[in-house]
Amino acid sequence: MASGYLVSRGANALGIHVQRFSRNILYTQIRKKPRWMRAYTLLMERKKKLEGPPPPRPRSHQPNWDYHAEIQALSSRLQENFSLELLKLAFVNPCYVRAEEERRRLLELDNQTAALNLKDNAQLHVQGLNFTMAFLTDWCRSNFTSLPDQAVAAVVGHLSCPEVVCHVARNLAIEELTLSGQFPVPESILHDTFFAVIGALQESSGPERAAFFLRDFLITQLIGKDLFELWPVVNPMGLLVEEMSSRNLPLPEPRLTRSAGASTVLPLYFVGLYSDKKLLAEAPGETILAAEEEAARVALRKLYGYTENRRPWDFSALLEQSSLFALRTSKNP
Amino acid sequence: MTARGTSSRFLRSVLQNGVGRYVCQLKRVSLIFSKNGQGSLGAREFIEDGVVDFARKNPGVVVYVSPQPVQVAKIVAEYLNGSVREETVNKKTTQEIGEILGQLANQSGLDIIRIRKPFHTDSPSIQGQWHPFVNRPSTLGMIRPQDRQPE
Repeated sequence: MASGYLVSRGANALGIHVQRFSRNILYTQIRKKPRWMRAYTLLMERKKKLEGPPPPRPRSHQPNWDYHAEIQALSSRLQENFSLELLKLAFVNPCYVRAEEERRRLLELDNQTAALNLKDNAQLHVQGLNFTMAFLTDWCRSNFTSLPDQAVAAVVGHLSCPEVVCHVARNLAIEELTLSGQFPVPESILHDTFFAVIGALQESSGPERAAFFLRDFLITQLIGKDLFELWPVVNPMGLLVEEMSSRNLPLPEPRLTRSAGASTVLPLYFVGLYSDKKLLAEAPGETILAAEEEAARVALRKLYGYTENRRPWDFSALLEQSSLFALRTSKNP
Repeated sequence: MTARGTSSRFLRSVLQNGVGRYVCQLKRVSLIFSKNGQGSLGAREFIEDGVVDFARKNPGVVVYVSPQPVQVAKIVAEYLNGSVREETVNKKTTQEIGEILGQLANQSGLDIIRIRKPFHTDSPSIQGQWHPFVNRPSTLGMIRPQDRQPE
């Protein structure tokens, strides 16, 4: 012990210690709380508050992202047999191809070495959109047989509007797989991509599986929706008169059946619609006109078979009419 | 904390899941562990034993295994509706990690808060909103006090 101490003293005398300490002169270890830390973190917090939250980053630019694995997982998660090439093609939007070519040109790469051999999903998108429209119209016609053409168009328009389709696409993780020129992905591009995925499904496993896909993910969005939420009718009484006259039924006669509190701030009127002395529908309202209009709506719902208490559509059963439809379309593409 | 003070929600599902077909809502799992940390021992063993089985059993979940110089091993789970959950698996055994992963795979990704009732309907009233004529016979036009029962 003592000899070791002496040796080290000797080494110090030779000037070795000067060299040893000069190596890490910039950083001296102090065993206490770093006093600069508080000021530094406060400064960083203030800076963060001034700058606001950072802009959202696409999931593909964050760690742990394997595009091929994600595509494969999407295919098996939805319990579908996608052909992976087609599914990958369905996610490539024309705007992405354009942006990528622009980026490569800005990098001044050689046209030969940096040629982008990418097809886009324009064709799949058109195919998927046509198939979806045809299937949804067919489904509405076969399930609500007495619904007029305008109402069918309104229901199909609601199901294929960007709002509903983007909601479905976001909740199926289609948004983060979409290759688009801009980020966040615009609604129109997401809408196109969803239909391109349906087109890819139809290409890879046939129209029947695509019909099942639409039934399970798009038609379920119709649950809990009222007919007149989807189809705005301004004059239901006029429409009811038209419908009744076209079916050769006696015209509806509105009668005030009940009323209460007519002179108060909360009046209530019940209007019943009678056709051939039989009660068609009865509905309440705050004024007589509102009650009559509501009664006409109730009568229309009964006529069209779209009442609130109708039997729910059985989603577990196989699609007979759609399989017929699929056969028909596969015969005449 | 009282029941009114805590956040709560109604029973819900993402995208009417299960009405048409069931879709596993877990889309991505990253297992973050340290290559030589003590707390990550169970995580390392789980990667040797169970992670391949889990990935095989759930083909719809993308499993990422990333060794990082971290003190605390964790599982980051991402769901279809965009929510992200982190679970620390520090000092957990292989079996416990497997259970946590199975639980994450069975969840829907909605907030885990108090659910007000174990059932829910969008149209809560069967007979409709109350009005002064509820339970009145339709033949009587006027509302009058009911006749007294003979005693």
